[in-house]
Amino acid sequence: MTTQKTVDFLKSLDTYEPDASDNADHFYNNWLIYICWENHLMYCAPFCVPLPPSLPFGALVGDLMPELYGEHPEFEQIDWQRTKWFDSDKQFRADFGKSLEHHGLRHKSLIRFNTPALEGSRVSKGAGQQGF
Amino acid sequence: METPVRKKKLGLKPRYTAMTRDLAWNTTYQPMEKVFPYDRYEGIKIHDWDKWEDPFRLTMESYWKYQGEKEKKLYAVIDAFAQTNSHLAISDARYVNALKLFIQGVTPLEYYAHRGFAHLGRHFTGAGARVAAQMQSVDELRHYQTEVHAISHYNKHFNGMHDPVRWYDNVWYLSVPKSFFEDAFSSGPFEFLTAISFSFEYVLTNLLFVPFMSGAAHNGDLATVTFGFSAQSDESRHMTLGIECIKFMLEQDPDNVPIIQRWIDKWFWRGFRLLTLVAMMQDYMLPKRVMSWKEAWEMYAESNGSALFKDLSRYGIREPKGWKEACLAKDHISHQAWSTFYQYSHAASFHTWIPKKNEMQWLSKKYPDTFDKHYRSRFEHWRELHKQDERWFNQYLPMLCQICQVPMMFTEPDDPTMISFREMEYKGDKYHFCSDHCKEIFTNEPRKYVQALLPVHQIYKGACYPDDINPESPGDSPIREVLRYYGVNGGQDNGDFDSSHDKQNFARWIGGENVKMEGR
Repeated sequence: MTTQKTVDFLKSLDTYEPDASDNADHFYNNWLIYICWENHLMYCAPFCVPLPPSLPFGALVGDLMPELYGEHPEFEQIDWQRTKWFDSDKQFRADFGKSLEHHGLRHKSLIRFNTPALEGSRVSKGAGQQGF
Repeated sequence: METPVRKKKLGLKPRYTAMTRDLAWNTTYQPMEKVFPYDRYEGIKIHDWDKWEDPFRLTMESYWKYQGEKEKKLYAVIDAFAQTNSHLAISDARYVNALKLFIQGVTPLEYYAHRGFAHLGRHFTGAGARVAAQMQSVDELRHYQTEVHAISHYNKHFNGMHDPVRWYDNVWYLSVPKSFFEDAFSSGPFEFLTAISFSFEYVLTNLLFVPFMSGAAHNGDLATVTFGFSAQSDESRHMTLGIECIKFMLEQDPDNVPIIQRWIDKWFWRGFRLLTLVAMMQDYMLPKRVMSWKEAWEMYAESNGSALFKDLSRYGIREPKGWKEACLAKDHISHQAWSTFYQYSHAASFHTWIPKKNEMQWLSKKYPDTFDKHYRSRFEHWRELHKQDERWFNQYLPMLCQICQVPMMFTEPDDPTMISFREMEYKGDKYHFCSDHCKEIFTNEPRKYVQALLPVHQIYKGACYPDDINPESPGDSPIREVLRYYGVNGGQDNGDFDSSHDKQNFARWIGGENVKMEGR
């Protein structure tokens, strides 16, 4: 997924080498991390949050997740031990004592998590409706 | 005595030629290619500029006369509208939010179009093309002005319309139209024509203007309807320019075909993503509905568009790459967009609400395959929360697509329960996209899009706080500080319609109370 090459059709009258706007040095020693609870579409889009690379994964789960997703009716039932974690498409094992950096995450990584048995928008609620 | 022979007046065509193309000359102090550098560097080959068919056949003199007449009529209506307090005749104060979206997100595009066509009007080598671009440039400036004047009456009575230019340059959802147009006018002149005149004005414009203007008609907004009529004849000229310019480029050289195809792929998709805002307006913001987004898409895009691309196939042009995906999305995007604005309404500059029961029925009927199945339950959940006085707002900022800058709210084309993610790595950084087509736009011109300013990232950089705020610790409510920087009055210009001054004021005015506007 990340290996696709670019072709660069961009034409200019002179040399043109703009800087990237959003590399890691702009965010006060934080990384931007994107977070998505799969199939939970009450939250219209994944979140973007600035986090220190040294943040323990346990703090992300224990402190940040309730802030982000706590208002979802299924949130209280999440079993964090059984939750499946993905760095974009690649599954990884979460170690709550270790930092984000230790998990191989970096600036602009996308963390997706999947909660078996809690499937939000995939679950039928009857009357032809699915959940959110 | 002989009668003096009267000099024969020139016919329409020679007069037109005399007053346009014949005014041009080839430069001698400087070589032509140095005077006109911009129409060569994109790789488009033009062998004979005289083959450019002028779509308008208007001289400047007749242009002024004609536009002046229209202007007189328009301003008579706008004045009468204001003098008779006709804003009280609209269907419901909720309707004004569609106008807010228009003045914030569409009107500034007219001004950008004016600038873009002025650039073309200077830089094409062919005089015919220059004249056409100059006239369109004047049209666009006039549209900007007349829209501002037509809508200004509402600004005296409703919130959320007092500073659209500042918002356009800063507010998150307005970066969607802003980045679209800045992408176009930072391209070369031929790409600009393909982007704006062809892909946007020729292929998609009916999906922008018809919903807003018929929406105005159905909801009792005479000022906006009159503006629409006044702009309509210009729009049809612009559409003619759109199709003529694409045929001209294609006929000049076969090497132009793949370049133009790539531009059509790109600009169809960018335009389609931009129209998400219109889809939402059409299905959710008009108290009296005209037709659904899906119906409009089927009528204006699917049937007209497929005929168009069949016609262009003789030049070797096929339908845009994202076409089928756009057609599949017609069942979803308006609901996804309204869900987004509903939950981020405290950070926008207009009001949102949960559709009333009969409006939900209308949505079920118009979207029999998707509304009840995928979207109804979240709206009902939010309605329940609102009833319990816990109107829900999403307090954390969303991830955005690097290209269209829309929050990553679109689902997989074949699975409406999954957000669609695409990503790639470029020079050591990750980039994320909402779709294959936005990703492909990036991979084709990565140097252009690595410098995109995404509003959410701008906030985290500290670029959107007032001077008295330390961006490293913006206090207990960063969103409040960002709104202060944007110049949006939190809780007054935004939030739920139900608790808005707009709603209260309107109810009192039509109830006959002669009171001043609350909230000023």
